Amino acid sequence: MLKTERREKLLRAMLDELALAGYEAASVERAQAAAGVSGVEFADEFDGKDECLFAAYDHLTDQVVARASVSCSGEEPWPERIRSGLEGLLEELAAEPRLARALTRSFPGIKPAAYERYVDLLGRFVPFMREGREYSEVDEELPGEVELLAVGAAEAIIFIEVDAGRTERLPQMLPEILFSILVPFMGPDRAADEMRSAAASI
Amino acid sequence: MSESSSLAAASERERALEATAALWRRRGYQGLNVEAICERAGIDPESFEAMFASVEAAAAAVVEVPLVSVVEIVGQLYSPDRSEAESYALAIARILNFMAANPDFAYVAYIAGRQMAPPEVHRRYETGRRFLVVMLERLWGNSGLGEQSVHAGLGGLGGAEALVRREVAAGTLERLPALAPQCVFAAMVPFLGQREALRLARMVAVELPSWEAPPAGRTTTRRRAASQPRRRWGSGS
Repeated sequence: MLKTERREKLLRAMLDELALAGYEAASVERAQAAAGVSGVEFADEFDGKDECLFAAYDHLTDQVVARASVSCSGEEPWPERIRSGLEGLLEELAAEPRLARALTRSFPGIKPAAYERYVDLLGRFVPFMREGREYSEVDEELPGEVELLAVGAAEAIIFIEVDAGRTERLPQMLPEILFSILVPFMGPDRAADEMRSAAASI
Repeated sequence: MSESSSLAAASERERALEATAALWRRRGYQGLNVEAICERAGIDPESFEAMFASVEAAAAAVVEVPLVSVVEIVGQLYSPDRSEAESYALAIARILNFMAANPDFAYVAYIAGRQMAPPEVHRRYETGRRFLVVMLERLWGNSGLGEQSVHAGLGGLGGAEALVRREVAAGTLERLPALAPQCVFAAMVPFLGQREALRLARMVAVELPSWEAPPAGRTTTRRRAASQPRRRWGSGS
């Protein structure tokens, strides 16, 4: 069994392969070579390319969600914690464009089961949004899934930038993405206030 | 070409498009080929080649089918008797009905065209989506609201699409019409504010025969207990 460090190196190399070469051309052998893992060691760990890719994606998403969870915890008001978590996520994606592409574009497109993993990933951000209901400016109940609407809004903007090869711009887009997350909970005027505040801090 | 042969050609094209969408959904883009499309559509390869230069051209035409339908729906619901926002809200509900009735084209519209298409087909998908974003952004110009994010339209559309994609990916497209009020809220709230977006969502909810939430455990949606009276979303009661 591969030790944690080498296993993680292999998983990372496999996602790099996917982002660079695409699913069909992604080479297990190249990933093995990049990670310094033999064919026998790979075969002991995984049944093949798909199993390795799914394990790599699960590992990556666990890390992304765990880091977001840390960033979103704290004593600050909810909008500030969301801003902090979003800032960390955007910087992380911008620093690793290939992983950002694998996360949002390459892996979800390989087959329906992979896309379902992507849907699950978006759902894992929903708990961070729940407190936003307390910031509504209307007495009326907000939609039952307003949290997923907010996550989907951010995802749509991030996806477009990653897809266009502009991942490095994401940190500068913090204010606009923050607006889209907050607006279902707080309305456009207060979300715009938070957007301006975020813009002033960049 | 006589009228009857023209009709036959149109029918063959429709069958080819339906077959391409169905195979794309079941096998992925890599699984598309002329032979499989022709077999499923019941047409010969010569007919396919007369209609499409390549499989990619057929895929691009498939991407345009739901886009054309969306434009038609928006046009049909435009009326001087209601506001632009009300027309859009009703159009969102009708679009979801269309997608529910056309699962293969819905898969292409929400997932395959975005994630599983070659660059040229993907570009057409994004161009069509841009049309929807521009349509939504028109609402801001009439709203009197202050400063706005330049990506508000994309975000609003993306929020609604997150709900839709979840159901399309799970193959539970029959749930799409019930998502209309929430999708309307997502698309409208950046431009019209919470109060007006909720009003439009309620307006659309009245059009639904009933509102049932997805099953517990898969989503955050609230469910009514069996003993409780049915309640429409957004009623606030």
